[in-house]
Amino acid sequence: MRITRALTTGALAGAVLAGATAANAAEFDGVTVNIMTFTGPQIAEPLQRRAPVFEKLTGAKINVITVPFSDLYTKLLTDWAAGTNSIDAAVFAPQWMVDYVAPGYLEDLTDRVAADSALQAGDIAPFFRDFSQQYNGRTYMITLDGDFQMAYYRKDVLADAGLQPPATWDDYIAVAKALHGKDMNGDGSPDFGSCISKKRNAQAYWAVTSIAAAFIQSQGTSQGAFFDTRDMKPLVNNEAFAAALDVYTETTKYAPPDEINLDVGDTRSLFTSGRCALTIDWGDIGTLAIDPQTSKVIDKVGAVVLPGSTRVLDRDSGKLVPCDAKTCPHAVNGVNHAPFAAFGGWSGGINKAARPKVKDAAYAFFSYMSQPAQSNVDVTIGKTGFNPYRLSQFKGLDNWTKAGMSAAAAKDYLGAIQASLNSPNMVLDLRIAKNQAYQQVVLDTAIARLLAGEINKAQAMRAIEDGWNELNEENGVDEQLALYKSTLGQK
Amino acid sequence: MTATAVMTEPSRDPAARIGEWFDRRSGGLMIMPAVVILLAFAIFPLITSAYLALTRFALSAGGFDLRFIGLRNFRKLLFGSQQYHFLGTFGELGLVGGAALALVAIAVAYGFVRYLRGARVSAIGVVGRLIAAALALAVATLFVRTVTGGGFPGSLGVTIIYVVGGVAVQFALGLGLALLCARPIRARNFFRVVFFVPLMVTPVGIAYAFRMLADTDKGPFAPIWRFAGFQEFAWATDPWSARLVVMIGDTWQWTPFLFLVLLAAIENQPREQMEAATIDGASSYQVFRDITWPAIAPVAATIVLIRLIEAFKIIDLPNVLTNGGPGIATESMTLHAFIAWRTLDLGGSAAVGYMLLFVTTVTCLSFFHFVVRRTRVLET
Amino acid sequence: MTARHDRSLRQRLFEPRDLVSMAPVTKLLTYAGLFAWTLVVLFPLYWLLITSFKLPVQVNDGPDYLPFIDFAPSGHAWRYIFVELGNDTLRPYFNSVIIALGATLLAVLIGSLAAYALVRIEYRVKVGAVVAFLVILAGVVWAIAVQGLPWTLSAAIGGALFVLFMVTLARRLRRHLGNNDILFWIISNRVLPPVVAVLPIYVMFQQLRLLDTHVALIATYTAVNLPIVVWLMRDFFATIPVDLEESAQIDGASKLRIFFGIVLPLAKPGLAATFLLVLILSWNEYLLALFLSTANAQTMPLLVAAQNATRGPQWWYMSVLIVIMIAPVVAITVLLQKYIARGLLIGAVKG
Repeated sequence: MRITRALTTGALAGAVLAGATAANAAEFDGVTVNIMTFTGPQIAEPLQRRAPVFEKLTGAKINVITVPFSDLYTKLLTDWAAGTNSIDAAVFAPQWMVDYVAPGYLEDLTDRVAADSALQAGDIAPFFRDFSQQYNGRTYMITLDGDFQMAYYRKDVLADAGLQPPATWDDYIAVAKALHGKDMNGDGSPDFGSCISKKRNAQAYWAVTSIAAAFIQSQGTSQGAFFDTRDMKPLVNNEAFAAALDVYTETTKYAPPDEINLDVGDTRSLFTSGRCALTIDWGDIGTLAIDPQTSKVIDKVGAVVLPGSTRVLDRDSGKLVPCDAKTCPHAVNGVNHAPFAAFGGWSGGINKAARPKVKDAAYAFFSYMSQPAQSNVDVTIGKTGFNPYRLSQFKGLDNWTKAGMSAAAAKDYLGAIQASLNSPNMVLDLRIAKNQAYQQVVLDTAIARLLAGEINKAQAMRAIEDGWNELNEENGVDEQLALYKSTLGQK
Repeated sequence: MTATAVMTEPSRDPAARIGEWFDRRSGGLMIMPAVVILLAFAIFPLITSAYLALTRFALSAGGFDLRFIGLRNFRKLLFGSQQYHFLGTFGELGLVGGAALALVAIAVAYGFVRYLRGARVSAIGVVGRLIAAALALAVATLFVRTVTGGGFPGSLGVTIIYVVGGVAVQFALGLGLALLCARPIRARNFFRVVFFVPLMVTPVGIAYAFRMLADTDKGPFAPIWRFAGFQEFAWATDPWSARLVVMIGDTWQWTPFLFLVLLAAIENQPREQMEAATIDGASSYQVFRDITWPAIAPVAATIVLIRLIEAFKIIDLPNVLTNGGPGIATESMTLHAFIAWRTLDLGGSAAVGYMLLFVTTVTCLSFFHFVVRRTRVLET
Repeated sequence: MTARHDRSLRQRLFEPRDLVSMAPVTKLLTYAGLFAWTLVVLFPLYWLLITSFKLPVQVNDGPDYLPFIDFAPSGHAWRYIFVELGNDTLRPYFNSVIIALGATLLAVLIGSLAAYALVRIEYRVKVGAVVAFLVILAGVVWAIAVQGLPWTLSAAIGGALFVLFMVTLARRLRRHLGNNDILFWIISNRVLPPVVAVLPIYVMFQQLRLLDTHVALIATYTAVNLPIVVWLMRDFFATIPVDLEESAQIDGASKLRIFFGIVLPLAKPGLAATFLLVLILSWNEYLLALFLSTANAQTMPLLVAAQNATRGPQWWYMSVLIVIMIAPVVAITVLLQKYIARGLLIGAVKG
């Protein structure tokens, strides 16, 4: 039902757009654009749903090609690097941008964006517009989704127990501990204090950084949370990272017994079926929780910016020092928060080797998808996987209440997103060459082995440090440092 | 060649002319398509991959380049930063482990000495046996060091566990079912078709089906699991139970293959001998040992060899069930190579693939030599 | 009847009445074992079937066992797969049909020809020629990969070198390989793990501009399954008496005619079994399809795997897909079942 409504809204908006650009109608007749993304319904669903409307408007036929998430990065790179070029454009993570931009596979969109008033670039949140879409000051991608991790909690359960939403990671553990084993969905069986996806080779490793960031980065976004920007030394073998690992492993105690085999999808369905008190996730939970088909926690979910820490890393000594005005300039109530823009939000990029007409059509489609008339509806639908990234999406609550969220819940949810987005201490995801190897292989494997008890904390930190140093050397320490600094906006 | 044995009158009919032309060249023409295809799809990739394994892949402007780095990919797997991943983490060598190792060493040495004393000694035989012996010792050492004494097996050890454990169980089950099915029962064809079904399901599908079944929270066995008081235990968190679940799925799929062939072999054995033995009062175990087993041994050995070849390629089940976790406890070598490929470590991926090829080849050749051939000799 | 009265209860339970029947207890145990395994085989399939009729809520709240009693079946997943996805399901389905059938027919045809030839024709391949070929091939690969020569040029030079070698030096070589060596080589190709071969195959099809086409997958599946066909069919042909063919030859029938008219019909059980085995392997193949297809040639196993989305595996959709994947193969198996066991047996006995 909601889809039908979204469709009509889209069609209406389309009609308006068509009226405005009647002269351009059917300008892409006979043009076919192959757009690759991962298998839906998320992300692919809105693209597929809106493609026919777009075709009516412009004549361009959009083929949405989907591959499993874990194969997207390689599939796309092999296609473009080998010169196959069967894919004209793709919706993928801007985090991978360096690997695509540096060899020159991605089309520079800067001028197109500047000339495109319908896109309303000024409405896109500055973090996405000025950082996420860009590389070295040029725009290569169009943001379609706003992504960062937040902490979610069960308002009813915490209120019943007289607990406050967690402000620090110690709070998070205390809440999880206090609520673990309580029945939270009324089925009589004990439920869990915290559910964090910890499956290997999936999307679990971001949560580690979500926790560690609060201990590591305190001086603002440009400080960076992965490497020391002075010498590219990995920031993983120190007291801060150790503290984060302690938190991470401790949460396992108050979790479902098979937590280390849970993918994000599993934890999401656990949380929305009312079995967890706390979780760390992207914006998706907010909209999934109001889906009447699957959710049992409608209007029972609260969201807060990722918990923080009162002690932060001193990079010279590798030790944790207490927060004060100098060490934590951005602290709120003495707590250093470092919201993590994990993954960076699904965005559209265009293959430089595609034919000019195809590139134009692909750009027009991405612009169309991002325009408020479309995106402001899509971000309220759980199935789309799109989360808010435009300022106008935070202002009017209309779309949200129409989608089934209560005004209070919408305010709470959007508030948490805004608090993250506005934080000057936002943590940027790692965006250097081969970041997949750094995170998905080295970090992920070490954490998985730590959780499985194959290695201890010290060994895990050593393994990550050695692995990252080895990768730095293979790819050139100076080159990687330059890339890392340029993504952080450092000179 | 017998190709040109018959010469007929040249004829005008084009079909006949093609036939004649074909006859003259039949030797080459009949086998060429197969050879060309295998050259293109097996030998060429094999050589290319060998080169790939010696390089590091990097993206570069407008394409990619391959930097030659010698044996560094292999060194990384065997001695370097990926050793834990491939070979495993070594534990302490305990007394029991040491004793087991010594036993294996003695057995291998004994076999070798016996061969040298024997009549037919050839250069290839000596080299082949040396390789097989070295590998057997290496695998034994690997096992003792990584499975006991606080060590953890890497993808090599895990693959061998799957292969040995899986094939052994599948063979036992397949043989048992075949023996049952060979009895004078009704509806044998019904059982034959039903038992064959698992082989037809796509391995990815089986993997997902077993993930559903093994879900201890909402799977069909969840109540039993809870009743047994296991709700605090998750199979996915323990290395051995996770491997067990993978092997259960594998067994479900492949037992039918062994079952079907063994059943056919049993049905094919000499009836008269069996009946005579039964009349003479032999127990069914004696009949099996003295008549059935010798009759089906060659088939059994060959079918196990076929299964061995396929078993080394296991990937879908661990990939879907656990993604290789907990830690790296269920990661097979193909999965290891696949994960490396996914992050564009093409050289590393090819190196793992080559190690797999080496292990598979030596294992299968040894099995062929020491088991399959023996059963044939017995038969004649 | 009288004989039975002579027997004690114990005898009646544990000892067979005559040689062809079983004692009741043995019979009971036999059927118990068989039915137990039937249950093991069918339960996962039953679970897939009922899951395909469940709502997401029913799956997540689970477990529910019996439709209409534990839960009300819903056709939503079937509707989604066939109506909402529509072409996105049917396209991979037909791709799978075309690719599996095409590859199976080709593999069985080419493999049978080779297998027959290996039985009836004596080959002598010079070892030196094989070595020369491999050296030249390695050289060609090196020239393309390291020196950056265009592959067409390198292949042409390689080909010319090989021909040159064959007409000059090759005559002097003495050592040669026989039919058994060729057979062994063909079969040993099956040992090659797909993960080793797939990247070069990808590059090869990319150069030929055939990626993501039916041709690429058909050719690859033909290649990986050829060893099995040759292995199984060779022994079938070996059991066919040569007299028939000889008399046909005297009557003037051409080799092709003999092969298609006489030999293949005689080898029907073997063909059926081989056909089915190769069909199953191609129908279910995942890894190679993942590399070689993107959109147009995507096959069903990829679609199944794709149901594992970020919102958790979509069990209900996945179950529908698996069910519709199994159904046709089961039907073919039932049709061909009397051949299968016999066909596989002969291959294994002689292999």
